[in-house]
Amino acid sequence: MKQRISVGTILIYVALTIAAILWIFPVLWMYGTSFKPEKDILLSTALIPRPTTLAHYLKVLTEASLPRWFFNSVVTSGLTTTLVIMVDAMAGYAFARVKFPGRDLLFIIVVATLMVPQQVLLVPLYVHIVRLGWINTYTAMAFPRVGLALGVFLMRQFFQGLPRELEEAAYLDGAGRWTLFTRIAVPLAIPAFSALTIFTFLGSWNDFLWPMVSATRENMYTLTVGLANFSGSQQQEYGAWMAAACLASTPVLLVFLLLQRQFVRGITLTGIKG
Amino acid sequence: MKQGRPFLRSSTREAISGYLFALPYLLFFCMFVVYPVFHGFWLSLHDFNVIDNSSTWMGLANYQTALHDETFWKSLRNTAYFTVLSAPLLVLAGLLLAMGVNREFKLKGLFRLIFFSPHVLSISVVGSLWVWMLQQKYGIIAQALGALGWHNPPNFLFTPTWAMPAVVVTTVWWTVGFNMTMFLAGLQDISQTLYEAAAIDGASAWQQFRNVTLPGLRRVMLFVGVQQVIASFQIFGQVFIMTQGGPYGSTRVVIQYIYENAFKYFKTGYASAMAYLVFLVILILSVIQLRLQPDQGAD
Repeated sequence: MKQRISVGTILIYVALTIAAILWIFPVLWMYGTSFKPEKDILLSTALIPRPTTLAHYLKVLTEASLPRWFFNSVVTSGLTTTLVIMVDAMAGYAFARVKFPGRDLLFIIVVATLMVPQQVLLVPLYVHIVRLGWINTYTAMAFPRVGLALGVFLMRQFFQGLPRELEEAAYLDGAGRWTLFTRIAVPLAIPAFSALTIFTFLGSWNDFLWPMVSATRENMYTLTVGLANFSGSQQQEYGAWMAAACLASTPVLLVFLLLQRQFVRGITLTGIKG
Repeated sequence: MKQGRPFLRSSTREAISGYLFALPYLLFFCMFVVYPVFHGFWLSLHDFNVIDNSSTWMGLANYQTALHDETFWKSLRNTAYFTVLSAPLLVLAGLLLAMGVNREFKLKGLFRLIFFSPHVLSISVVGSLWVWMLQQKYGIIAQALGALGWHNPPNFLFTPTWAMPAVVVTTVWWTVGFNMTMFLAGLQDISQTLYEAAAIDGASAWQQFRNVTLPGLRRVMLFVGVQQVIASFQIFGQVFIMTQGGPYGSTRVVIQYIYENAFKYFKTGYASAMAYLVFLVILILSVIQLRLQPDQGAD
């Protein structure tokens, strides 16, 4: 009996390890290839480049519009994430804690829009920003995502989970809602903010369809859109493309590495899983 | 009463602060969700020109056109095919990976990171990377398959029967980490004492999974399942970058067809009508899932 279990356990770990190697391989290979000289790229399957070269990086950093696209992505995702955290935290708090007429109906309407696929919004949003004259602006790229309901839903779930007693003492001392919110609720919500930051930042940084539609000038492309065009126009220059892809991926990988500890905890706390 | 009456009744003050707290979000919500949802429906009933802002009433003509449009139906079938292939695989693989990395071992943190990390990459990186790995001759996958004894495998992305499965594999690699994380959070909520009690009663690993893990995950399962079908049905980036809908339209999905109509042929009204039909399909699928799920968990 004991023997049987440990064989099973070993098999599980072997399977897990094989899966992990398969999963990480494409990423390592991408980084490895970005340092390979052009003539080695097609012929060598080695993960670790030998000899190595920085030529591809120099090329994309000096020739392509990559730095500009990078800047656009940082501004768009940064603006989106900041707005989402502020606006969703306040609304989530109101829906969870403050009593006002029509609150529950309002919340049901907001949550119902979780069912609306984003592509239903695509065409009317485009018409909307054309009329506003917002094409090729950061506002157009960032604002629509702030209206999405997921963050409000998560923040409400989180604030509902906080014990009321935490606020009661301060409330009896005559503290207003704003004080209760900024002094008590917000400091406790840091893990939930981490989870929401990761969701929003990743979603915005990697969004493809909306930035492609709302930014038509090359100097307003985000990295995701720019890279897609870049690989279309530079079919043969694999090395340069790999270097560009690595430059685009490293910042998000780092952000994720820094915040990942809070991530699962944040998901648990916001009760996203029901 | 004596010590200075507040200016307003406290319930009124409370209500006002409630509205003020919700107001900033509600402005964004009305402007970028509510208004477009209704405006999209209005557009679907019109022939609308973005450039000179003119519109002609069409009634349901756009919907009728869609229902008789063979390409629309083909793209819906392709989308359904992708969803049927990818959604169960993504839910099942997510669950298995979560159970694997929920075990206590030294490298569990590293393994979780590895399985989630592709999700951090953008679709233009993922798509092009896989196009390259899937190349017929020099592609790393063709070489690996050759080493395993499958010499001269087909040119996956250029063969109608293989293109969609290749897109599915790419999608699983890219997004399964998200489902894994959701399941992981759910697994960590199941009380350890339930497993201990089951073990004392002599329950096998399979019985523990069947009677403790699965019921404990019922709500996560519902969330991940519904969310995954919606996400799969909205596939766009992968085919747009990897196959452009080819070969011979075998991977053209419905969002791509909507995109082409709106932004290539400027048929704004027609694109909106198709978007609404897709919305209807997604809604029906979600309702069916919500109806089915509780019964599965109950037995």
